[in-house]
Amino acid sequence: MELDLFVRYGPALLSGFAVTILCWLVGSFGGLVLGFAIACLYRWGAAPFRWLISTYVEVIRGTPFMIQLFILYYGGPYIGLVLSPIQAGILSFVVYGSPYFSEIFRGGFNAVPTGQIEAARCVGLSEARILRRIILPQMLVPITAPLTNFFIILTKETAILSVVTVPELLYETQTMAAETFTFVEPFLVLSLFYWLMVIGTSWIGGRVEARVTRHLKRAN
Amino acid sequence: MSDTSAMSPKTGEPIISVRGMSKYFGDFVALNDVTLDVNRSEVLCLIGPSGSGKSTLLRCLNFLEAYDGGEVRLNGDLIGWQDGDSTPRKALSTNALRQQRQHIGMVFQQFNLWPHLTALENVAEALIQVKGLPKSKAHEKAREALGKVNLSDKTENYPANLSGGQQQRVAIARAIAMEPTVMLFDEPTSALDPELVGEVLTVMKEMAAEGMTMVVVTHEMGFAAHVADRVAFLDAGRLVACVPPAEIFSQDPEDERIRTFLQTYRERNVV
Repeated sequence: MELDLFVRYGPALLSGFAVTILCWLVGSFGGLVLGFAIACLYRWGAAPFRWLISTYVEVIRGTPFMIQLFILYYGGPYIGLVLSPIQAGILSFVVYGSPYFSEIFRGGFNAVPTGQIEAARCVGLSEARILRRIILPQMLVPITAPLTNFFIILTKETAILSVVTVPELLYETQTMAAETFTFVEPFLVLSLFYWLMVIGTSWIGGRVEARVTRHLKRAN
Repeated sequence: MSDTSAMSPKTGEPIISVRGMSKYFGDFVALNDVTLDVNRSEVLCLIGPSGSGKSTLLRCLNFLEAYDGGEVRLNGDLIGWQDGDSTPRKALSTNALRQQRQHIGMVFQQFNLWPHLTALENVAEALIQVKGLPKSKAHEKAREALGKVNLSDKTENYPANLSGGQQQRVAIARAIAMEPTVMLFDEPTSALDPELVGEVLTVMKEMAAEGMTMVVVTHEMGFAAHVADRVAFLDAGRLVACVPPAEIFSQDPEDERIRTFLQTYRERNVV
């Protein structure tokens, strides 16, 4: 291994890592929020909404992320949507993740027994309060694991952003590999970076899960 | 035990009045032209075979099920629908319905306690969010309500750490803390182990003795016979009888359907 390579390319790799984290965090949380909104619309919206939403979910889930990114980045200018690579990357990430998130939330809504909501209505809680105080805390129990899982999947999807020249981790690694004709070292480092993101996410997911399930522990 | 029943006759002052109420699930007639009154401080038990419409009737009283025809009134207010002549009638706004429901406490067969909140928080939640009490005052009232159901020592427990009987008593405390005009019970002891039924019935008897108006769907014939002021018998969505318990539980009730129903009970309870 040639360590001086990493001295030379270290800053570029770190900057790529930062861009990856930026796109992943902003894109995923954007997708999470949009997905939640979609799931709420599906639950409380009128019939035409549901039809529209189902179509959206099927279309986005049914097409590869790379194609969505191409369409947004290269097709956007035709309708006046000119985006920088990073902007296009984040926006497409939001869109790509949203139907998966919305399906996780939809499942979470369904997991809360009707009786829980009826009991809340019987004491006069408002629908907004019921969502925040009764439904959300309970749906977090079944959805924390799938949410964590999807965040982990998304860490690695960021690599696709390199195809529209987002200067993220894979892009920088490929540059390094091409310029130095080394392949093993750069890609080992690349894997290490993704692995760091994954164990970090997994750790946070575990903490959240412990928090949202504490009431289920039996004190025997 | 206070004897309010003897002092103030439980008649002539209907709190709930049901007039010609019907309820359909698709083509199925769940309730057919039901008319009955519940008077102040009265305990009315609803009995009848499975599928006869007891629970549906109870759930129509607080509009958890929207009744289709007829009227349900609580102290004169039409429940769930806008009062007036418009056809088809329009449902009340969510907020107006919330107002009405605050006066109607409900206890469910499956308790429906919120599992992520402690016993105290379960009781205090609506006091804070609906009645607008400050947290400390709400907790004080919640403690009081939990004391009434003999659970002063379990206030910090989550439902997962309470027995079925204790959970159901928390559910009762949650309802009475709101100081409702009337309490509805939907088979409150049916999900309990036999040895836990007594503690819940005891609390209900105390409430009855204190003059709470109660409508109770139950399979506890002993409770119906000894605590109810009147017993309503439903069969196939129709109100067959609504009479003092003595008339239903007499050796030879008039109606064939009541006879058959009670016969199965007597046979089952022979040890």
